[in-house]
Amino acid sequence: MSVTDKQPVDPESSTVHEVVEVPVSRRRRIGTGIVLAVVGLFCVLAFGLGSHAGYDATFGLSSLAAAHNLPDVVLPARVTAILLGALVLVLAGWQLGRGFSRRQLRWVLGVTIFCFVMAFLCWAMTGTKGTTIDFLGLLQNTIFTATPLILGALAGIMCERSGVINVAIEGQMLAGAFTGALAATVASSLGVGMVAGMVAGSLMGALLAVFAIRYVVNQVVLGVVLNVFALGLTGFLYDALMQPHADTFNNPNFFGPKQLPLLGDIPFFGPLLFDANVIVYLTYILIIAVHVGLFHTRWGLRTRAVGEHPRAADTVGINVLRTRYVNVIAAGLIAGLAGAYLTIGTIGAFSKNISSGKGFIALAAVIFGRWRPLGALGAALLFGFADALQTVLSIVGTPVSIPSSFLAMLPYLATLFAVAGLVGRGQAPAADGVPYVKG
Amino acid sequence: MRKIVQAVAVTGILAVALSACGSKSDSGTGTNNTNPGSGGKALKACMVLDVGGVDDRSFNQSSWKGMTDAKQANSNLAISYVASASQNDYTPNLNAEVAKGCQTTIAVGGLMTDAMIKIAKKNPTKKFGIIDSNTGQPNVYGMQFNTAQGAFLGGYLAAGMTKTGKVATFGGVNIPPVTIYMDGFWEGVQYYNQQKNKNVQVLGWNEKNQKAGTFANSFTDQNKGKSISAAFAQQGADIIFPVAGGTGLGAGALAQSSGGKVNVMWVDTDGCVSAPQYCKYFITSVVKNLADAVNKYVTAAASGAFPTGTSIGTLKNQGTGLAPFHEFASKVPSSLQSELTQVKADIISGKIKITSPAQPK
Repeated sequence: MSVTDKQPVDPESSTVHEVVEVPVSRRRRIGTGIVLAVVGLFCVLAFGLGSHAGYDATFGLSSLAAAHNLPDVVLPARVTAILLGALVLVLAGWQLGRGFSRRQLRWVLGVTIFCFVMAFLCWAMTGTKGTTIDFLGLLQNTIFTATPLILGALAGIMCERSGVINVAIEGQMLAGAFTGALAATVASSLGVGMVAGMVAGSLMGALLAVFAIRYVVNQVVLGVVLNVFALGLTGFLYDALMQPHADTFNNPNFFGPKQLPLLGDIPFFGPLLFDANVIVYLTYILIIAVHVGLFHTRWGLRTRAVGEHPRAADTVGINVLRTRYVNVIAAGLIAGLAGAYLTIGTIGAFSKNISSGKGFIALAAVIFGRWRPLGALGAALLFGFADALQTVLSIVGTPVSIPSSFLAMLPYLATLFAVAGLVGRGQAPAADGVPYVKG
Repeated sequence: MRKIVQAVAVTGILAVALSACGSKSDSGTGTNNTNPGSGGKALKACMVLDVGGVDDRSFNQSSWKGMTDAKQANSNLAISYVASASQNDYTPNLNAEVAKGCQTTIAVGGLMTDAMIKIAKKNPTKKFGIIDSNTGQPNVYGMQFNTAQGAFLGGYLAAGMTKTGKVATFGGVNIPPVTIYMDGFWEGVQYYNQQKNKNVQVLGWNEKNQKAGTFANSFTDQNKGKSISAAFAQQGADIIFPVAGGTGLGAGALAQSSGGKVNVMWVDTDGCVSAPQYCKYFITSVVKNLADAVNKYVTAAASGAFPTGTSIGTLKNQGTGLAPFHEFASKVPSSLQSELTQVKADIISGKIKITSPAQPK
């Protein structure tokens, strides 16, 4: 590939890797087929035959707040689980006999995971007769948990695509969360709080940029230092300002949900996607903006060029350092928004270390999503889903009681396995974390 | 190269400035010199807080209040606290307090039991206190609470107040000082069902299955608290009893989002005092009188007689119980209120047996 290409026609072909579709090797094909077969058998034997016969699995699809609702879906649990397992077995058979192409395989794996999860839910609901799982609520909680992760991951992608490692997402979120709550309270305006939170995030981003680009500090060490800095600073200011004067400095309220006209009235999808608060809507827009920006605009091409081969980019006249500054500081805005979501988007108050490690999960989503916005979206949603599922399972109980400490591992386990199975080996931008010094 | 040196230097300065901030904040809020009371004997009493901070509106805060209450009565007390940022801080914090010359050090929280036993053995001449634990060490005074009794009343009340027939509880971490509340709550609901021939369900906990149950695995993550509460509401619960310190505030936020369809029962402290922003949604609080126990211990220690053994706070000695109903005073039917008085008397007299395995012995 050449960096000087003026027309990035196909986004796939403008990166160094994945230029040619490599056929799946025989060994890999059989291996994947066996894994699918094991999953299918597990669904049939454990979830199908392991569930109480004659019990129903009820999926609640309605929301109390919505005007139009779908009726609950009631399925015979055992039969459904066996059918879902059988579908996976059919896919496994095809994979072993003929083999799917790489592109098809992604869909196959997606369907397999869906079948596995649904069969699992069917089984889980046979613990007590008449158990209903609010499926819509489960997905709503998924988005609730995933939103800050998605925003944090988008910030990480913008930095790393331009060649600056961002370990400081957590710190930027904290700064945004603190400033968002403070400014919203002082100005009595949530909008002001949101903007202030974004600015605070970008100031943290500017610190990262200056030290990483101007002073060529090791970027991982720098990120860790910035995280500790943000934790200490917000903690200190919380003790000094917010804790003694909560009403004047830490009482911002939070964005309530705003139902969109028409879209919000769609049964199921309306309450799920279009009855959220303004930060969630901004998240939708940002996902599309960053994706389109990175792969379909001049800015994106330059960013990726700077992240892959800064010297070549410099040779053709791209200002490498400026591109990096712009990206890192703009990414800070998004991470700050993620932070603001944690206070004025959900809770309505700041408390120490409110981000509780979400910045690091977002960083993981960047890598699991292979430095792509849509990949990171998938990773964040998966984590959010597993987290929400864990909570619901602990509430409804399962036929075989699962210890709560084991359930708590579920989000992390699910992310690990999905990454190993679906994503495989990712490739970071070639110049990620490598400072550029002219000359 | 010069640039790298410069950068390292600036980073170093930031770090130093930061650590200075940290220590300043601790000593700043940690020493209380107001309201000198009548003179008593001098004593240097120190406290190691659990994670969540002194302002967690829950167990740290009320333990520290016991110290400041004692100080108000006896101005010769020198009190200070140190906060733990994580469980890894317990041992170093306790060691530091001993090295500082504290005559007695109080560990807030049963999670510090192991660290406390080690340090008490190493310093047999020093005196210690620990909340929610019985270490069996001669120089450690245990302050325990049978909060299952208070939570039993809470469960009975919740069962009487629910409109959906489902109430819920979740914990911070699956440890006895947390699950004892959940046990009591669960038993209270079962007792109500048995007395009234009803079938109110408890989501998130079942005393018969101590390994399961809903836990946030955090005492600070309010967003997790809110998503757990949302899941409870989706599954039909309309009263939530969080036993999770600051995480529980997420339940308050959810109650606010629900517009009052979901209400909350607060824990450890009177919620309307410690988290007044959600007072509207607090039916009541199951309190644990930490401040009183700490105050008594420190005052006794200052008089020269270090108490030994353990104390257990119960309904009878006001170590646990229900807080006032505040804004729910008019909404709790008077018949239910008088039933609660009867249930309380029956627990004290032993007519109602509480079976929670987490009860202190």
